[in-house]
Amino acid sequence: MNPQDYTLQLWPGAASGMAHQVDWLIIAFTIVTLFLVVPIFVCFTYWAWKYRRGRNVDRSHRESRNVKIELSWMLIPFAITLVFFVWAARLYDIEQHPPPNAMVVQAIGRQWMWKFQHPGGQWEINDLHVPENTPVLIDMISQDVVHDLYVPALRIQMDTIPGRRTQLWFKADRTGQFLLECAEFCGTDHSEMAGSLIVMTPAAYQAWLAHAGAEPSLAAAGKMLFSSYGCSGCHGPNSTVRAPSLIGLYGHPVPMQGGGVLVADTAYIRDKILDPGKRRIAGYKQVMPRYAGKMPEADLLRIIAYVQSLGQSGGGA
Amino acid sequence: MAEHAATVGVEVEEQFFSAEQQRHVATLGMWVFLATELLLFSGMFLVALVLRVLHPASVTAVALHLKFWIGATNAAVLIVSSFTMSLAIEASKAGLRRAMLRFLVATAALGVLFLCLKAYEYYRDWAEHMMPFLPGRPYVLDGDPASRLFTNLYFIITGLHGLHLTVGICLVLGMAFFGRRAGFLSRHQNRVEVLGLYWHFIDLIWLIVFPTLYLLNR
Amino acid sequence: MSPSDLALRDPVVPEATIARQPDYLHAKQTLSSWFFTTDHKRIGILYLVSITFFFILGAIAAGLIRLSLLVPNGSIFSNDFYDKMFTLHGVIMVWFFLIPSIPNTFGNFLIPLMIGAKDVAFPRLNLMSWYLYMVAALFTLICVVLGGVDTGWTFYTPYSTFYSNSWVLPALIGVVLIGFSSIMTAVNFVVTVHTMRAPGMTWFRMPLFIWSLYATSLIILLATPVLTITLVLLIASRAFGFAVFDPANGGDPVLYQHMFWFYSHPAVYIMVLPGMGVMSELVTAFASKRVFGYRFIAYSSMAIAALSFFVWGHHMFYNGMSESASLTFSILSFTIAVPSAVKVYNWTATIHKGEVRLDTPLLYAMGWIGLFVVGGLTGLFLASLAIDGHVHDTYFVVAHFHYIMVGATVEAFLGALHFWWPKMTGRLYSEAWGRVSAFLTFIGFNVTFFPQFILGYLGMPRRYNTYDPQFQVLNVVSSAGATILAAAYIFPMIYLIYSLFYGERAGPNPWDARGLEWTTTSPPPPHNFETPPIVDFDPYDYPSRAPEGG
Repeated sequence: MNPQDYTLQLWPGAASGMAHQVDWLIIAFTIVTLFLVVPIFVCFTYWAWKYRRGRNVDRSHRESRNVKIELSWMLIPFAITLVFFVWAARLYDIEQHPPPNAMVVQAIGRQWMWKFQHPGGQWEINDLHVPENTPVLIDMISQDVVHDLYVPALRIQMDTIPGRRTQLWFKADRTGQFLLECAEFCGTDHSEMAGSLIVMTPAAYQAWLAHAGAEPSLAAAGKMLFSSYGCSGCHGPNSTVRAPSLIGLYGHPVPMQGGGVLVADTAYIRDKILDPGKRRIAGYKQVMPRYAGKMPEADLLRIIAYVQSLGQSGGGA
Repeated sequence: MAEHAATVGVEVEEQFFSAEQQRHVATLGMWVFLATELLLFSGMFLVALVLRVLHPASVTAVALHLKFWIGATNAAVLIVSSFTMSLAIEASKAGLRRAMLRFLVATAALGVLFLCLKAYEYYRDWAEHMMPFLPGRPYVLDGDPASRLFTNLYFIITGLHGLHLTVGICLVLGMAFFGRRAGFLSRHQNRVEVLGLYWHFIDLIWLIVFPTLYLLNR
Repeated sequence: MSPSDLALRDPVVPEATIARQPDYLHAKQTLSSWFFTTDHKRIGILYLVSITFFFILGAIAAGLIRLSLLVPNGSIFSNDFYDKMFTLHGVIMVWFFLIPSIPNTFGNFLIPLMIGAKDVAFPRLNLMSWYLYMVAALFTLICVVLGGVDTGWTFYTPYSTFYSNSWVLPALIGVVLIGFSSIMTAVNFVVTVHTMRAPGMTWFRMPLFIWSLYATSLIILLATPVLTITLVLLIASRAFGFAVFDPANGGDPVLYQHMFWFYSHPAVYIMVLPGMGVMSELVTAFASKRVFGYRFIAYSSMAIAALSFFVWGHHMFYNGMSESASLTFSILSFTIAVPSAVKVYNWTATIHKGEVRLDTPLLYAMGWIGLFVVGGLTGLFLASLAIDGHVHDTYFVVAHFHYIMVGATVEAFLGALHFWWPKMTGRLYSEAWGRVSAFLTFIGFNVTFFPQFILGYLGMPRRYNTYDPQFQVLNVVSSAGATILAAAYIFPMIYLIYSLFYGERAGPNPWDARGLEWTTTSPPPPHNFETPPIVDFDPYDYPSRAPEGG
């Protein structure tokens, strides 16, 4: 951690035109509201002091109602604030209508990571690389609970909801690395569901895309972890312990203990690794240890990817 | 009915100034309470409506499994029970204690008849595998996951209505039990009226539940 | 003015009255006379004690949250523990403190006194409401003992139904039960205000506190059942897999959010309106002046109650809601600021040319104005669509609603406690300590929560146990402020309890205030008035012209 991480910061960095517009909106709104409220504070305090009991001041012409005054301080501030309603609504309208030529990035939120897939098929976890000065549309969905993709430097966020697609778009105009967070509470490690938005020059972005495709796949990394965690000891093809084989598991129905059938999706596999005793399957004794708290998220993700790949290789068996 | 009419009135509790005030309070209190009850059920009607918009085919599939004739009969049973309840109230106003008791018992009996029919309907649902929430029991519309939502909602709505009706029956029987004593009408006549409001309300709710679940989606 | 001055100003303490009839505190002293009481004043005291207990519990949770946030890497408490603490803080503070605080203690104590009735309309229902509160509290405590719940007080699905491994069910049952407790109290209040007013107490002679509690009760009646049924559906989902909101079967988690906020946004006004009612009483009493614009303030309470039902969508601007719905909810949220603003301006005008005494209750009232105005206007920021897109679900929101709730409810609660303490207990507290506490509350609160506006604008989301190190300085400031605030809450508990035993005896009207509750003895007799009052005067009938020379 750098020492400058601890310096006091009072205004967030901005990485898009929209961010500057929102800043201007809130600055203007703050100034106007100060004009509306400072008189209240000043008058209340000053009058409370001036007219305190025992003080000889002029208290004649006391009023206990005056409809004209009341109507005016009811309607004039309201009319003034309506300016800001319109202003904010216009910015919102821009946020709601992505340009048709926007580059589409698919995003999936799940406990507790973000997965982004670029138009060329390259994908990344938690970090998102985007080219500068290009409209980017993020089309997102959640795999489990409600999340919320939030990039403070862009002044935008959008909930990520299971079973429903949502979108946000932006055009970053500054290269650099910016915070990317989950803003909707999504469980234990909600606060660690964060990464970076990395805005690059278009050329650097192209170079990154080419490089990203060359990285070893998650599943390949997961296969190594599968043996290093000892999973293959029981679930592998040559094991002596009676544990269910994972080949052809992913995406297929699993009979549950006590009846019922469940489709083995990633959430299910994840649950079974973290807390195998929770949703037992029919015909097996519960002997597997819990991995909750023992396996870092990144490893878990890779192992799930590996199990997922086993499912596909099973080919509908 | 050659019954000697008893005096009718209310015994004033200590926080009130007059019997008139006490009657007003009791009636208003029940109306206010019923307003909250209506909102309670409205929440579920809203969910039913949303499900119908989201998954019309699934909702229809469930509705076709519901026993229309039981729902309709039950609606009729409750309407008759409201009628007997009104008669009980009229009898209480006239000071006819014995007539009031008979009508109260008749009302409770009709309520029990409703519950019996409802229980039979639940039994049929069980037999036809229409209880997706039971672990280990297959569900007849398993290929249609969205139908589970409406089926579950059907049980929650009818269950909650049944709960209200059960409370109503207990109150009616309790009223009949305490109403046996002489002098009941001279001290607590307005309780019968207030209870009547509640009973009519349960009836009214069924008259909304029935079309919402059984009728609209067929 | 020192307390002894106050006592001197009312030299005619009617000792004879006290001797003739014991007051409600001394009428009967057995334990069962408290636990089976139907006296609205005693029930108010029962609520005061239980609500204070839960306030302490919620405050401890808040303290642990602030402790954990001293460091950015979450090394003090685990994420799991932190999540349970903020959930506990939210659930307890919202349902066991803020919502019942002023209505159930001061409302119970004062409504019959203020309208000249012997008791509320349904005294036994009133007691039952307290018992339900306690049963609900028991479920919440059971939940805590078993290991706590980690969903946040909003219980968003599908996390709360299928993903959380904590004790969600007892917490949900507790909230459902306390909803019924609220409803019972609200039924009681509405019926009492409608039917139990003393002869001559017309609607526009009622104190504004009564108006605001009436509006509050209407909101409770219309909103709480919706929460109840929503949580019942949630319980069915979690316990039996009913899955009404479960996206895996085609259910809609956003529907849950709509139904939840249909209650929980009006609930904000359930918390704020009683505080506004208290303000009307405090400002007039300590300005010794007729309230400015009585009718506007009364109508604005009703307007707030009505509008509060049409703004819930502003909690959901950024979850894929349609643009037209967002625009509608945004403009409606701007509108609801109008009746709130009227009240604030009118109280300010009430001070003008009054005969002001800067005693403890008024200091709390001034703190109220300061905090509520900031909270209310930042509410307008949040209602502005594009700003919400940035600060939604960040510490900006946390700061905003703490300004509203601590500002409008806790300040008013403490102000009311100091104002009516002599009436409730018959004793006077130390004025000097009262002023110190009122001052500390204001300072401590601002030090705690103002930095959170900046944190939110910088982009720190709420409910984060670990955070980016750039946010640490402001978090440390905020935690430091929390310790000041803690002191400001502890002081009143000490000197108020001390005054119970050693405080000077209060006369019937130590503040020289108007209103029926000040015409009876302190503490009042069991049936409130020796002779049933007849009202032939307007509310706040302070002298319309100040005495010559002030």
